[in-house]
Amino acid sequence: MSVTRRPASYSGVKPKPNSSERRRLPPTIGEQLPCTGEPTALYSTHEIMDKDRLVTATEQDMSDELNLKTRKYLRGDGANLETLRDKKLKGQLAVREKLYSQSAKAAAKAEKWLMPTDEGYLEPEGLEKTWMVKQESIIREVDVISSRKPFDMILPELGPYNLEYASSGRYMLVGGRKGHLAMMDMMSMDLIKEFQVRETVRDVVFLHNEQFFAVAQKKYPYIYNRHGTEIHCLEEHGAPLKLQFLDKHFLLASVNKFAQLHYQDVSTGVIVANYRTGLGRTDVMRVNPYNAVIGLGHSGGKVTMWKPTSVKPLVTMLCHHGPVTAVAFHSGGQLMATAGMDRKIKLWDLRKFGVLNTYSGHAQTMDFSQKGLLAIGNGSRVQVWRDSGNQEYEKYMSHAMVKGYQIGKVSFRPYEDVLGIGHSMGISSILVPGSGEPNFDTWVANPYETTKQRREKEVHALLDKLQPETIMLEPSKIGTVRPPRRKERPTKKETEEEMETAVEAAKSITFKKKTKGRNKPSKMAAKKEEEVFKAKRPFLEQQMNNDRSLKKQRIVEAELPKALQRFSRKKAS
Amino acid sequence: MEKKNKAAKANKKRRNVALSKSLAPNNSKYMKINNKKEQRRRHGPRIPTALNKDLKRLNPEPSHDESDWESEEMMEENAYEYEEAVAEEEARKNRRFDSVENYEYELPEDFEDEDVPSDDDIPSEDGEDGDKHLRMLEGKERKKFVLSDFQGDSVDGRIDIHDLLDPLHGKPGYSNLRKRLHQLERKPLAVQAPLPKVEREKLERKIAYERAKKDITKWEPLVKRNREAPTLYFDEDVNLGYSTVGAIASEFTPRTEFEKKMSLLVHNPEVVEAHNKDGARLLELNKISVEDVRDHQNRLAKMRSLLFRHEVKSKHIKKIKSKTYHRILKKERLKEVSVDVEMDPETMKDNARKQEFKRAEERMTLKHKNRSKWAKRILKRGLTVQDEGTRAAIAEQLNQHALLTRKMNSMKDSSSSDEFSDDNDDADEEFSPGTERKDTFRLLNKAKENTLKAIEDEDELPKSGVFALPFMERGLKKRQESAEEEARIALHEYDASLRQLENENGVESPKSTKVSGRKVFGPPINKTQESSSRKESYNADKSSDSEDDFEAVDCVDVAHEVKNHSQELHLGAALHDDPEKTHDSIFRMKGENVGDDSTTRDEAVQNPQEPNSNNIDQDSDDDDLEEEMVDGFLPSSLKHDYKLPSQTDLIHRAFAGDDVEAEFEMHKLDILNEENPEPEKPVLLPGWGQWTAIQQKKGMPSWMLKEHENVKRKRDDALKKRKDANLKHVIISEKVDKKAEKLLTKTLPFPYTSKEVYEQSIRMPIGPEYNPAITAGALNRPVAEKLLTKTLPFPYTSKEVYEQSIRMPIGPEYNPAITAGALNRPVVVKKAGVIIKPIQYEEVDPHEKPEQPKCIVQKPNTRPKAKKAKSARGRPTKKTSMGKSS
Repeated sequence: MSVTRRPASYSGVKPKPNSSERRRLPPTIGEQLPCTGEPTALYSTHEIMDKDRLVTATEQDMSDELNLKTRKYLRGDGANLETLRDKKLKGQLAVREKLYSQSAKAAAKAEKWLMPTDEGYLEPEGLEKTWMVKQESIIREVDVISSRKPFDMILPELGPYNLEYASSGRYMLVGGRKGHLAMMDMMSMDLIKEFQVRETVRDVVFLHNEQFFAVAQKKYPYIYNRHGTEIHCLEEHGAPLKLQFLDKHFLLASVNKFAQLHYQDVSTGVIVANYRTGLGRTDVMRVNPYNAVIGLGHSGGKVTMWKPTSVKPLVTMLCHHGPVTAVAFHSGGQLMATAGMDRKIKLWDLRKFGVLNTYSGHAQTMDFSQKGLLAIGNGSRVQVWRDSGNQEYEKYMSHAMVKGYQIGKVSFRPYEDVLGIGHSMGISSILVPGSGEPNFDTWVANPYETTKQRREKEVHALLDKLQPETIMLEPSKIGTVRPPRRKERPTKKETEEEMETAVEAAKSITFKKKTKGRNKPSKMAAKKEEEVFKAKRPFLEQQMNNDRSLKKQRIVEAELPKALQRFSRKKAS
Repeated sequence: MEKKNKAAKANKKRRNVALSKSLAPNNSKYMKINNKKEQRRRHGPRIPTALNKDLKRLNPEPSHDESDWESEEMMEENAYEYEEAVAEEEARKNRRFDSVENYEYELPEDFEDEDVPSDDDIPSEDGEDGDKHLRMLEGKERKKFVLSDFQGDSVDGRIDIHDLLDPLHGKPGYSNLRKRLHQLERKPLAVQAPLPKVEREKLERKIAYERAKKDITKWEPLVKRNREAPTLYFDEDVNLGYSTVGAIASEFTPRTEFEKKMSLLVHNPEVVEAHNKDGARLLELNKISVEDVRDHQNRLAKMRSLLFRHEVKSKHIKKIKSKTYHRILKKERLKEVSVDVEMDPETMKDNARKQEFKRAEERMTLKHKNRSKWAKRILKRGLTVQDEGTRAAIAEQLNQHALLTRKMNSMKDSSSSDEFSDDNDDADEEFSPGTERKDTFRLLNKAKENTLKAIEDEDELPKSGVFALPFMERGLKKRQESAEEEARIALHEYDASLRQLENENGVESPKSTKVSGRKVFGPPINKTQESSSRKESYNADKSSDSEDDFEAVDCVDVAHEVKNHSQELHLGAALHDDPEKTHDSIFRMKGENVGDDSTTRDEAVQNPQEPNSNNIDQDSDDDDLEEEMVDGFLPSSLKHDYKLPSQTDLIHRAFAGDDVEAEFEMHKLDILNEENPEPEKPVLLPGWGQWTAIQQKKGMPSWMLKEHENVKRKRDDALKKRKDANLKHVIISEKVDKKAEKLLTKTLPFPYTSKEVYEQSIRMPIGPEYNPAITAGALNRPVAEKLLTKTLPFPYTSKEVYEQSIRMPIGPEYNPAITAGALNRPVVVKKAGVIIKPIQYEEVDPHEKPEQPKCIVQKPNTRPKAKKAKSARGRPTKKTSMGKSS
């Protein structure tokens, strides 16, 4: 293994490199606010370089900024309490709102100290374009440590390479198609472990920390620990094409050759779900970091979204006219990028499932960075797009590999301005200013984690493990009121009302006047009674049936002894 | 004083009058009248003599003596009138006569005189009856007079409203005031009648409510504050005054007599002293004489023995189970009661009422009249079958009923006897002779039913064993036939007799007036005739083998006969054993086929087969046809002529994934249909509901179309409601995830009434991970909090001391290492497994000052005379140092 440093060359562009530490917000369940009293580990020794460029903000600006931040931490407006009639509740909510606003303000103020730096970016001068900037010129401008980060690793023998970063961004996993596996510590550039499995390796993925990783091999996915010891062979998955790990749920998801989607809980080993997609073989699979919903791209141009508790896909979208080649999700959860063989790259708004933008271009692989940059790998070229406001993505950087290299995978390194590229001749990494989150939260991910911290975190993560059913399109809906079911059994009150109306109707029937003693009051009364009974009857019968079924159910549930329970008929659910 | 004298006089005279009354009783009426006159005339303490004279002049009739008496009497009656008048006057209740009094004062004496006679004249005409009323009225007027008189006398010393008004003369508002006063004087204030109680109470309640409301409002701000407070604190140091029962008791001061006495005794210095000392003195104080004690003991013993005896006796009585004993007891009690009743009219009346009540109850419920389940059952089974006891019980019950309803009997004797006899009939229905038309009618009906049933019952014949033999079977057949015949004849007969009966009913109804219409059970007389006639008919027929049975049976119910017969038939059938034959017979019996058995059976067997075979043939034909058709198709489809695909085909194949949009639409439609299936188009079954060609022109019935429309509309609505209704390229699953359902609330949590408010209220995470420390506490504070302890921790007795003792932090962060260990050292330092031994006595110099902190140290090797408990002196032991270092 050899590391090649790219030669630096001049460019008139000032890069604004990634600078010191900040915290990242957890993507799925709520945001985390800065906490006072947490151990603050400094990430790197980057310094803010162009202080001169900092605009001295007036107080107005500062308060505006504070307001903006406060709004962010308030997570939406409070309820309109004026409409409330319950005075007690009103009072309580008012107090609560006050506390919320205090909390948000405090968080906004603390942000100044806890999240001191913004991400950097390339700033063109005059007619220059940012995508014209070569890596060499960037390297020349950045500090020494950052300048060591881009590299090219030429590994010609063991085929196209796949790579994966750990969630803290410190470790990198490399998988060669022909069985080459390696784990590297990217901070010290040390090789932790390198070994050969002598089998096709299709995908590699880290589990909850760098201690374990899963590899999609020829027949089954395997789990290895950091020393390269095989821990598990997950035979149920079949021959996997792609792996994904849902770290909040401890679920390893795989899609195999037969287009079957498997979810396996790696903490308990239970196969949580196993679904056939029924849409043909695919190796396009990404997890949405916001809600842990898995997106699959299919050959029919469809993208389907899956969760472990639903047999049918939650959403099926027709995205392209040709097969889908790549899918990527923004960490905010609202943006999805898809690329198809129809030479289209599309950005989708996942709130309304509509196209935001369509660009023409091929993409073999795509990835969103923490800060929302989109890397697109195609052939031997890598492009990085950037949101120019209003979700209009435009070309931000571009990088060409040596001709003939086929890019298989692009992946942004978390908390770093680095893009890793896995290609047919090895792996490379380039600097992409402004891609990574500059401030990290040690509670979420800590690149400088000690063994103790790691263990602590592991225990915490296990304790806080989310159940598979919490995966849903809109996780913020948890705890809210269930929408009324369409076909719910009518409530008792409703049936009673219905019965009453029926009885009333029966009572109001006027009978024909009859002769020959058939119009006697007693007879009329009897007739009326019969009518009423007739009207009542269906309701009573239904009620009786319901009661009986309920009773039966209860008996089955409650009274059967343990030994006989296996003989009771299972409810079809 | 004058008045009093007069009263005395009147008293004296009353005695005289009494005497005179006894002397002349015939004059009493007259005297009464006069009395009234006198009463009316009274209007003052002193009646002027002139007036008296005038009166005499006007009414010359009464003799002088009598008048004298009258006057005396009048005087006598006046005696209390006087007093009353005085009382009134003194009370000065009638203010409204004040004004009049002024007039009176100005008027001359004559006025009085004038008034009197007119006053007198009116009542003189009145009768005796109205005299009381009049007296009352009189009294009023008189009072007026009296008042005026006296007030006239005493007016000098009193101040009235006019006196008060005079000085105001000329002042502004005076005229107004005077006018009002005038008005008041003119129009006497009429006191309104009090409101009815209900309304009054209502008003009172209303006012009370208002007041209570007002009272309660003072709590409002407090309640509001507490309601709105996010947290309630219960930390205020509320001084309750007392903390223990002892404290309360110490404050006690005796108030009542008893309490004082008690306290005197309790706080008797002698007793207190005795208590304070060793208590020997208490014994001395407790001295009681020997006699007293003995008496007391004796009394107690007596009482105890009495109680015990009584208890034993009652226990014994309670244990006795003899019915006779209890009966005797009851009788005795009743006797006592009856004696009482006879003696006391009140109880008699009560008893009578009770009796009446019971009778009414009995008449209403008819509890003792064969209505009970028990009685019915017994009657159904027949009284003759019952044993004596039951019969007696029934009789007893009826007797009870009769007794309870006796009153009526006594009242209407003639009818009651009938009823009674009827009751008797009820009781022993079986024995009552006599035949009733209805009975026969009923019996006939029953018999008919039974025959029919028997005929039907014949289906179930035994088909195995001996009965399967051919001769048996033949015999059975014969018997069945005959039985059938008989049954038919019987039926005919019943019908005939029924018809006859009906006719007779119509004719004979006037005749049978004396028939009560009750069911009477008993040996029927007419029936015997009937049955005999029937027998004859049977004999005439001569078709049955069971003749003998009939002859043997003499006087049995028709139904019984038939039943017997049917049973016999069963037996007969059971003798035969050919299943087929029995089947045949059944067939025949049912269809009344008299044709040849075998042929019919054959037919019966063949007929069902034929259609089957036909069907099969047809089926096979069909199959053949189908096969042929399939064959006709097959060659074409199976021919694998390979042709080069055309250019368009190739292009199509090359761009197979091209038409993804249409495909997607199809897929979506499928899914939609799966969730909301498309309704079927209404189809008419050919021939259904078509009577004529005209109807066909009408087309579908409107209701069908309507229904279809409805379903369609519903589907469209459902489709429109879907989230992906407007998204052509998206399918969003509408399936409800049952597992995720538990993460949502079914209903809004309690205080919330709107979903939006609730959802907005939970939008913020409140955990300490998501909030800065300053608000995290406030956000997670419990609703009620008890911050401070109410009581001091145990050894402390003073609040100050306690608070000062906790003022310093003891943690290692706040203290230098040398003291931190000592500060946080546990009370007992002990190695695991070491048993703490009891402290041994040792002599400790109390004045010696310890240099080391006190620490109980237990050494592993215990020297007998070592000082263990408190190692005050000497070097610190190893363990202490260890504790320090840790």
